[in-house]
Formats: sequence, C-alpha cells, structure tokens
Amino acid sequence: MLKVGLQSIRYKLLLLVLVSSFATLVVAGAALMYNDVREFRQMLGNELTAQADIIGQASSAALEFNDAKVAAENLALLKAKPEILAAALYTAKGSLFAQYQQQAARVELPKLPELDSVHIEGQRLVLFKRVISHGEILGTIYLSARYDLLARLIDYLAILGGAMLLSLLVGGLISSRLQSHFTEPILAMSKVALQVREQRDFRLRAAKTSNDEVGYLVDAFNDMLAEIGDRNAALVASRQALEHEIIERSVAQKALAASEQRIHALVSTMSSVIWICDRRGCFMVDQDSWAQYTGQPMQEYLGLGWRTRFHPDDQGQLDRAWSIALMQSSAFALEARLWHAESARYRFVSLRAVPVINGDGNTAADTNSQDNQEAQEWIGSITDIDDRRKAEFEVLTLNMELERRVSERTAQLEIANKDLESFSYSVSHDLRAPVRAVAGFSAILRNTQGDELGAESRRLLDIISSEANRMGMLIDDLLSFSRLGRQAMQMRNLDMGQLVQKTFEQLNLEQSGPPLQFRLGQLPQAEGDRTLLGQVWANLLSNALKFTAKREEAMIEVGAISDDEKFTFFVRDNGAGFDPRYKDKLFGVFQRLHGTSEFAGNGVGLALVQRIIHRHGGRVWAEGKPDAGATFYFTLPRHTGTA
Amino acid sequence: MEQFEQVHILLVEDNPLDAELTLYGLQTDHLRNPITWVKDGQEALDYIFRQGAYHEREDILPGLILLDLKMPKVDGMDVLAALKADAHTRRIPVVVMTSSREECDIVKSYDLGANSYVVKPVNFEGISTVAKQAGLYWMMVNVRPPR
Repeated sequence: MLKVGLQSIRYKLLLLVLVSSFATLVVAGAALMYNDVREFRQMLGNELTAQADIIGQASSAALEFNDAKVAAENLALLKAKPEILAAALYTAKGSLFAQYQQQAARVELPKLPELDSVHIEGQRLVLFKRVISHGEILGTIYLSARYDLLARLIDYLAILGGAMLLSLLVGGLISSRLQSHFTEPILAMSKVALQVREQRDFRLRAAKTSNDEVGYLVDAFNDMLAEIGDRNAALVASRQALEHEIIERSVAQKALAASEQRIHALVSTMSSVIWICDRRGCFMVDQDSWAQYTGQPMQEYLGLGWRTRFHPDDQGQLDRAWSIALMQSSAFALEARLWHAESARYRFVSLRAVPVINGDGNTAADTNSQDNQEAQEWIGSITDIDDRRKAEFEVLTLNMELERRVSERTAQLEIANKDLESFSYSVSHDLRAPVRAVAGFSAILRNTQGDELGAESRRLLDIISSEANRMGMLIDDLLSFSRLGRQAMQMRNLDMGQLVQKTFEQLNLEQSGPPLQFRLGQLPQAEGDRTLLGQVWANLLSNALKFTAKREEAMIEVGAISDDEKFTFFVRDNGAGFDPRYKDKLFGVFQRLHGTSEFAGNGVGLALVQRIIHRHGGRVWAEGKPDAGATFYFTLPRHTGTA
Repeated sequence: MEQFEQVHILLVEDNPLDAELTLYGLQTDHLRNPITWVKDGQEALDYIFRQGAYHEREDILPGLILLDLKMPKVDGMDVLAALKADAHTRRIPVVVMTSSREECDIVKSYDLGANSYVVKPVNFEGISTVAKQAGLYWMMVNVRPPR
C-alpha cells in the first residue's frame, strides 16, 4: 500500500506537470487564435473597403452619367479577385445599377442597399459602401467576399495541437527525469520502512542522498527509527521483566494456593476443633466444629457461654489463664476436660489460642513484638488428647513398672554378683589354705626327713605334692576365669600381627618341641583389650604348640579374613585334632577331650578364650578331625571410625 | 650376724598351719630374729599399741610386720590403716601376705601404705620358702627406717 502510494506520487507529479503545461498551452493558444481571427477579419474588411473605394472611384463617372455598361465593365474587372464572389452597384435612389457574379457562385444580391457596414453573413463577408464624389452621394457599392474562417481555424488548431503535444512530451520527459530526485530518497525510505516492518530490525537506516528537505526527512526518519529501536528494546526488556514477574507471581500464587489447600486439608482432616472469638473472648459467629464436638447449641455457646462446657473443676483454672491471656494479648495454652457429646463424657483436650494483632492476620507469634498490642480477635484450636493422655498414662505406668522391675532385677543381680564375689574371694582364700598346708607340710617332710623315708614313701609324698600343686593351679585358673567377667576392658587399637608375634616368641621359648614351622599371615589392626586378647592368643597358640608336640614336623598357621562387619582370625595346626562330634564341648570350663596323661592342661584355656571373645562382641568356633589338625576361629567386630 | 640389730618380727596370721609354715621359713640359719605371732587383727593392734592383754608389754616396736588380710574380728586392712595412720608406727615396714590375688586387695593394700604384697603360694616352693625370701630381703637387703 505504501509502495503504491509512493508510486502514485510519481504519477501525480507527472500528471501535475502535464496538466499545468496543458492548461498553459490551451490558454495561450486560445488567446493567440482569438487575436488571429480578429486580425484576419479586419484585414479582410480593410482589403474589401479598399477594393470598394477603387471600384467606387472608377464607377463614379458611370454613375454620374448613368452609364450602366461602363459600370458593369468596371465590376467585371473583379474577376482578378477570386475571393470576391459577387459585387453590385446601387444608385443613390437605391436601385440596382450594375452587378457582377463570379461564375459558380450563386449569391443572391440584396434588393436594396444598406448603410455603410462590414458584416459577416454565413460564410461570406458583406460590405456596403457609399460612393461619394465631391461631397455628393452617387450610389452604393455592395461586395460579397468569401470568408473562409473555418479552414483557417482548422489549420491553426492543428498547429496548436502539434505544439501542445510536443511540449507535453518534452515536459513529461523532463519532469520524469527531475522527479526521481525527489521520489528516489522517499522510495528508498519506504523500502527501509517496509524492511523494518517485515524484519522488525530497527537498526536499518535509510541512505541520505541530498541536503534538502528530503534529506532532513531521511534524517528525521532515521532518528525516528533509532528512537523506535530504543523504545522497542526498552519495551522488550520491560516485557521480559514483566513476563519474569508474571512467572514468579504465578509460581508464588501456585505455592500460595497449594499452601492454602494444604492448610485447608489439614484443618478439615484434623480432628481438632477450630474456633474464632472476638477480643473479649466471646464467640460471635456460629462455630460448627465446636457445636459438633460439644453438642452445645449456638444460642448457648455465643458470648461466653462456651466456658460452661468445660469440666466444673477446670473452669476456675480456665478463667484465670484466659483472663491473663486476654489482658496481655499473649498466646494461650491449657489442658482441660471438655464435654464430648458423642462419647457423653468429659475428655481431656489441649486448648490453644493466639491473638490476631492487626488486620493482616498477623498473630502475636508472627509479629514477635514485645509491646503488648491489643488483639483484634483470637483464633483457637481444641485438640482431643484424651487417648494420648490415657496412652501416656499407660506408658508412664508401664515405664514405672518396668523401672521397678529393672531396679529389682538389678538389685538381685547385684546381690548375686556380691555373692559370687564373696564366693570367689573365699575360694581364693579359704580353699587355698588347706592346699597350701598340704603342699607346704609335705615339702617340709621331704626336706627334713626325706632321707629316712623309703623310696615308696617318697613317691607317695611326691604325688601328694604335685596333686596339691595341681589343685592350687585349678583354683587359680577358676579364679582368673571368674575375674574376667568383672574386669573392666580397656579398648584400644591393637596391632594384631605384632601381638601374635610377641606372644608366640614368648611361648616358643618355654617350649622344647619338634622342629616348628610357624606361618604368620597379614593381620589387620583390631580394637580390643590388649591383656585379654594377648591371653586369647597365648591360649590358642599354646594349645597349638601342645597338640603338635608329638608331630615329627609341627606346622602352625595364623591368619585373618576380613569383611565389612568383622575380622575373622584363625589359628591352624597339624596337631592331634579332635572329634568334631564334641566340638561344642571344647569351650566349656573343665571340659577336656584328651586325657591328662596324653596332653597337659586343666580345661580352662578355651573357656577363657570364649569368655574374652564374647566380651569383645565376637564369636569362637573350631574345626578339626582326629589326628588331622585343628583350626580355631574367632571374630572381632569392626569398629569403623571409633578408635 | 652380731653387727645386725636383733629386729623383732610380728607375724599376724589367723591360720595356725600357715603360721607354722611361715615360722618354719623364717627360722633359718640366716634369720634368728625374735618372732611374735598374733592370731588376729585385734590382738595385733593390742600388741602394737600396748593395750588390752599387752598393756604391760615392753615399749619396743616390731621392726617388720607380716600381715595376713583375711582374719576374723579386725581384718588386715583395718590393722594396716591403723598402723599407717599413727605417727609412731607409720614407718614400720608392713609385708602383706595373703592368699588373695584380687586386684582390689592389692590396690587397697598399697593405697593404705603397705610396703610389700606377697601372695601365699601353693606350688612347689611353698609358703615357707616365700616367707624366708621375704624375711631375708626385708631384714638383710632393705635399709630400715631409723628408730
């Protein structure tokens, strides 16, 4: 549309030029033609008047002498003038005197002469002129000439038309050349405008080609584009900001809606009673949930009537707490008994209320202000805690019962422990005394009268001594076993490899057995009591040494297997082994699978091992076959991160 | 032997057999010290502080006390506490001789100021041997406090 408009400007300009030059030419042509026609007629009139004078002069004598023949001859001379179609001479009295008519011309001569005049009659110019001689009117001449105005006009118009055509042509050409100076910058501008519109690119600029008004127009256009570009950018930015804001707002609104929904859901699913009262603590509107819980009709609970549904014994406390809260506009909480319509009894409820300080729905908890602003209204809740109370009471009772039982048991245990302690104390003291005496006195007997005794007596004395010693050792082992349960453990991180190596070296020094192959694998660090675990290793290793003593080549292997929860240590030997049927008896106190004569020992060692490992939270077991060696395993829990 | 002062040993022991074995061990060629044997804690306190049956006793303090712990009436710990609480008797070396290996007994004895703790053995050496060794050490090796 813009394009067409601008194109039409081009044509309009052209049309303007053409129409204006055409109008000029028409006006000028008309003026010229008018002048020409007038001159033509005057010239023709003058020529005709001169002709009439000549004829009058020539014919005056004839008229004077009334010689019609001469007059006719004079008129006949007009043959030389082809334009004159007819001529006539009239006498002073008005009668036709002589006449002339061009051949082929049929002109009707007037009957009477007229006054002197030149006028046009149709396509002829007619002249009347008096013939005067010496101041005397002799007659009148009449001439009728051909007046060919139309032809002359046609010629004239043809020339004029040609001139106009030419001038229009030239004018159009020039104007079309000149107009491009004006229209081209405008067209370029319109093109840019179109591009801007289509591409929405406000960085485009129209080229300035001249310094005239069009140039200013281009400048103004470019400035306007820049301005629009800036505005557009600002608009886009603000739109983006707006969109962002809208998104944020919609997110917030969604969150708000969700939160409201949640609260609504919460309120509706809560078994609680929600109520609202005015700042004096009066129920002002209907409280559905209150009515439902208490069964109190509206006219009763309105105002302060709601208080009466609390247990009479609790009302005093309620009134006191409530009036303090009202006075201070502070949050209110109380546990009291409220009438429950459905179960037809009082139930314990938790009564809570917060004051709404201002119109924004801020509660005292929100505003967090110290100065006591007056509450506008109160929002409260009532939660049935009867079941909870009952459960709490039951739990409390159970706990008390449990505690009583625990302390009872503890006391019993303490007594048992005390008994055990005094038992082991008396064992260590009283039981050893006679043994000591047996051993001591038999030693004295041997030392002082050994020589006087016979060989058999000495043998018997030796048996008494050694058995007394064994008895003493048994008592010692038993005591150390019972002590284990009471000793406090000192847990620390232990280098098990080092512990095993040291223990083994110590034991091996005391032992004189067969050639021994001792393999010690990679052992992890483990947590435990150094003394106790040292005792475990000592027991297991001395066992292994003891039971391989009869092998030609003894082999003892110590290793460990680790997993996420525990370390499993083992001691493997190629010794006498054991019957797997009795493997459960291995770890019992004084349980022995081998005769004393076969292998020394009193059956406390493995029981000690088991007790120590159990105290460490581990497990002990053994695998073996008679005469095919034995493997003893024990585990220690992994204490990750606790050293 | 003459250069050594005759040091009086007080044996506090309720078990007559243990007492006999101890006395047997102490009365060797090397040790000819006078030994007094009292049979319980109360008698020991009476003897040391010259009271009761011993109120007319000569005012000479024993140079070494061998003290059993578990005794009727006043036990060894009470005797030890009384000895170490009194300025006159505080410096007398006290060797606790007992059957108990209990840690609590060992700790408590040393805390009360025992100078030595000996467990009566039941093995080959016998109580006599241990008593002898202890006597020799405290009489001959150890430098006693001045009177």
